[in-house]
Amino acid sequence: MERDLQHAWIAGKPAPLDTAVAEAAKLLAASRQPLIAGLGTDVAGARAALALARATGAVIDHMDSVALLRDIAAMHTAGLMLTTPGEAQVNADTLLLVGPGLAQAWPELPQKLFGKVRPADIDADVERRIFWLTPERDAATLAAAGTSLTTIGKELRDLPVLLAALRARVADRPAGKTRVAAATLDELARRLKSARFGVAVWSAASLDALTIEMLCGLVSDLNATTRFSSLPLAPADNAIGVLQTCGWTSGFPPRSGFGRGFAEHDPWLFDSLRLVESGETDCVVWISAYRAQAPAWRETPPTIALAAQNAVFRPAPRVQIQVGRPGVDHACVQHSASTGTLVAVEASAPSGTVSVADAIARIAAALPGHGERPC
Amino acid sequence: MLTRVAGGRVIDPANHRDGIGDVWMRDGRIVAAPPGGRADATHNATGKIVMAGAIDIHSHIAGWNVNNARLLLPEFQNAAPGDAAATSWSGTGWTAQATGSLYAAMGFTTVVEPAVSPQHALQAHLELTDIPIIDKATLAILGNDDYLLSLLHAKESATAIADYVAWTLAASRSLGIKVVNAGGAAAFKKNVRAFSFDDLVPSCGVSSCAIVKALQHAVNALGVPHPLHVHCNNLGLAGNVETALATIAAAEGLPLHLAHLQFYGYGKEGERGFSSAAAPLAAAVNAAKSVTIDVGQVMFGQTVTISSDVLRQFNARHQARPRKWVIVDGDANGVGLVPYEYRRKDFYNAMQWAIGLELFLLIEDPRQVYFTTDHPNGAHFRTYPDIFALLMSRDLRAQWMADLPPEAIKMTTLPSITREYSLTEIATMTRAAPAKLLGLTDRGHLGAGAVADVAVYEDDADRARMFRAAAYVFKDGELVVRDGKVTKYRFGRTLTVRPERDRAIDRRMKAYYQDRYGLSDDVIKVPEHALGRPEPFEVVPCVT
Repeated sequence: MERDLQHAWIAGKPAPLDTAVAEAAKLLAASRQPLIAGLGTDVAGARAALALARATGAVIDHMDSVALLRDIAAMHTAGLMLTTPGEAQVNADTLLLVGPGLAQAWPELPQKLFGKVRPADIDADVERRIFWLTPERDAATLAAAGTSLTTIGKELRDLPVLLAALRARVADRPAGKTRVAAATLDELARRLKSARFGVAVWSAASLDALTIEMLCGLVSDLNATTRFSSLPLAPADNAIGVLQTCGWTSGFPPRSGFGRGFAEHDPWLFDSLRLVESGETDCVVWISAYRAQAPAWRETPPTIALAAQNAVFRPAPRVQIQVGRPGVDHACVQHSASTGTLVAVEASAPSGTVSVADAIARIAAALPGHGERPC
Repeated sequence: MLTRVAGGRVIDPANHRDGIGDVWMRDGRIVAAPPGGRADATHNATGKIVMAGAIDIHSHIAGWNVNNARLLLPEFQNAAPGDAAATSWSGTGWTAQATGSLYAAMGFTTVVEPAVSPQHALQAHLELTDIPIIDKATLAILGNDDYLLSLLHAKESATAIADYVAWTLAASRSLGIKVVNAGGAAAFKKNVRAFSFDDLVPSCGVSSCAIVKALQHAVNALGVPHPLHVHCNNLGLAGNVETALATIAAAEGLPLHLAHLQFYGYGKEGERGFSSAAAPLAAAVNAAKSVTIDVGQVMFGQTVTISSDVLRQFNARHQARPRKWVIVDGDANGVGLVPYEYRRKDFYNAMQWAIGLELFLLIEDPRQVYFTTDHPNGAHFRTYPDIFALLMSRDLRAQWMADLPPEAIKMTTLPSITREYSLTEIATMTRAAPAKLLGLTDRGHLGAGAVADVAVYEDDADRARMFRAAAYVFKDGELVVRDGKVTKYRFGRTLTVRPERDRAIDRRMKAYYQDRYGLSDDVIKVPEHALGRPEPFEVVPCVT
C-alpha cells in the first residue's frame, strides 16, 4: 500500500522509497561537506533537518535567507519596534506601507489591513490613514484599497533618500531635496507624528538592509511623541518557522554550519549558493515541500531532492523523493502570516505521502553509526 | 528495576528527614526501603548530600521572547564549547538542548517558563518539548488582553472571568496564570508612558489593581494550585517599593505570588535618590502569610533582559548594552528584549545585588521566599550555585561587599545581617516549598510515592562548587548526570492544569476570534500531536 503512494527516483528512474533512502544515506555518508538547503518545510521538517545537519556536520541554509537575514541585520544594528498582524489589523489608525511586494508576501494584506480600525475602545470610530511609499508594481493592490490611501514616490531606488529625508523631517531637522515635493514630505511627517498607533509594513524581499535600518530608525524616532511600531512581512516557504526552529535548536538563524561539532553562524561562509558555486559542498540535500521549487544554481553537485509533487530538476538529482505538502498532505506546524505566530494546521487533503521529517528520519536511520548520538 | 542511593545524608524537609540513610527508587518513583530488598543498582552516596530534584519556579527558558533574544545576540554563543568562559553565557550554546543539560547538571529537574503569551503557546511548547531531561511547565500571561479588559469594563461576573481564565489555561496548556504590569501594556498602546497600581487603562477605565484582583480571584476560584503570579507595575524605578507594598496589601489574605521582588525593593533616599527598601518590604512579606515571593537576584556580568513588561522595557531601551533592542507591541502583553550588563562598579547594580540578598535573608520563612534570578533578567541560571554559597556564608558576602562601591553598600542593611542559610533551608526553598507552591504533591520531596527525581551532591565546603556539579542526578529514577556531566539524554513532560469551565466560553472565544480577527480560534491551540514527541503533557490536579 505504502509503496503505491510513494514516488522516489534514483537518477531520474523510479525506485522504491527504501532504495532511494539507502542511496541518499550512502551519498551523505561519503560526503566531506554536506549542505542542507532550500529548507522549505514545516517545523517538524526543520527539526529533522537540523538533527541531520548535526549528525553529518552539514551546513543549513534556507532559500529565502537573503530576505530573512536583512531583517535580522536590522535587529542587530538598531532598535526594532515590532507588532503583530492582529494589532496592525485592529489597532493601527495609520499604516506606512514601504516598497513593493507586500501583497505578494501576504496576499491577505488588503483584506486584513485596509478595513476599519477596531481598537478595544468600545465607542471609538477611527478612520485608517494609509500611506504607501514607492509601491511600484503593487499599483493593482492600491485599486482595491479605497480612497484613504496616499502613494508617495515612484521608484524604489528613490526610497533610501526619501526615508532619510522623512526621518529628518519627523525629527524637525532640515532635509535635502528628494524626488518628492518638500511640502508632501512635511505633510507625511506631520501625519505620522499625529498617528495614535501607527505601523510600518515592509517586505525584506524588496528592500536592502540599510533601507530597513533607516525605516526602523524612523519608527523608533516616532515613539518620542506618539506610538508607532512595525510589521516586517515574512518571506515564503515557512522561512520564519524555520528561523525560529533554528533559533532554539542551534542558537542561530539559517546559514549555520555544524562541521566543527557545534553550531556556527556566518551569512557569507554558509551561503548555499556560494558553497555550491565554489565547489565547497559535495552533496546537497535540497528541500522544497511547499512547492516544486528547484535550486537557483546552475552547478550540479550530487543532490538529494526532497520536493513537492511535480518538481522537475534538470538534470535529474541523484535521489529524488516526493514529499507531502505541509498542511495539505499532512498536518503541520508552520508560521502564519495572519497571526505572526507558529500555528498547528490540519491536513486539507490527507495523503500517505512521506513528510520531510519522515524522509529525513529514514535517511538518518540508514546512516552508518546511527544511534550512537545522544539526541 | 530497584535502585538504591546508599548511605548519604538525606535532607528532605517536607518529610522532616535529615540524617544518614538510603533512598530507594522503583519504576520512576521513590519507594520505602523494601524489607530485605536487593537493589538492582546501588549508588554509593557516603559523604554526600541527597536531596529531591530542585524546582525552579521562574526562569525564562523557552518561547518567542527567549528565542528572539537568541537571534538578537548571536555573540552570546559564538564561543565554542570549552572555550574559556568569560561570561555565564559563553560556550554553553544557548539552545533547548543546553538548557536541559545545564539545569540537570545542577540537580534541577523541574523548571517553569513563567511568561508565555497564549498566542505563542505552541512555540513555547515546541521548544520545551526539545529541552531534554527536565520536566517543564508554563505560566500563561493575561491582564493586558482586550478580552479580559472588555469583561472588566462590562462588569461581567467573576464566573465569566474564571471561565475565560480556565479556557486560556486549557488552550495554552499552562500550569498557572501570570499578570505582567497589569494594564500597562494596553495603556502603552495608548501612548501612556508610566503606569501604576491605581492607574486606569485608557481604553476601558479599569485599574491595574482591579485586573490583578479579578485574576487572583479567578485563579483561586478555579482551584489552580499556583496562586496568581504577579509582575508588579513600575519595575526597576526608584521609590517603587510603594507599588510592591500596595500590591501585597491588595492580596487581602488570599494567595498571591510576587515575582522577582528585588526589582521592587527600591526607595528614594540618599544623594542619588536610590536606596534599599528591602527591610520594609521583607517586613510586609513576613506579615502577609498568604503572599509568596521570588527574588530575582542580580549577579554581575553580561546578560539580556527578556520581559513581557513592554512599557518598562521601552523606557529602558536606551540602557541597552550592547546597543540594540527589540520592543514588541503584542496582541496582549508583547515583550521587550534589552541586553544589559550588571557592573560591579556601578552604584545601582551593586545596590540591586545587595537588595536581593537582603530579601533572601530578611524574609524569615523559606516557604515564602523562592530562589530565582528571573533568568536571564537578573543573571543566568548558571550563577545559582554562587548565590547558594552567598546565602550560606556571611564571610563570603563580606568578601564580595569589599569589592563593591562602599556608597552603595552603605545604603543597605546587608553588612549587618548575620543569617546563614542551612542546607535544610536551601532544600526547603528549592525543593519542598516550590513543589507546594505549584501544587506538585509528588515532587520536591523523597517520601514514598514521589517522582524519583533525586540530586546527590558532594558535601563540599565550597558550596558553589558543590551545587554546580551534582555527583548524581536521577530523573524518574534513571541516572542522567554523573559528576556534573549528562550521561543519559531523555525527555521529560510538561505539567499543566485543566480546571473545569462552562463550555459556553469555547463558543464565545470562537466567535471572538472570528469577529475580531477573522480567524479560527484554532490558531492559539496546542494540539498534542503537533509537538512531535509521545505524551508531552502531564495534568496536575486542581484543588477542589
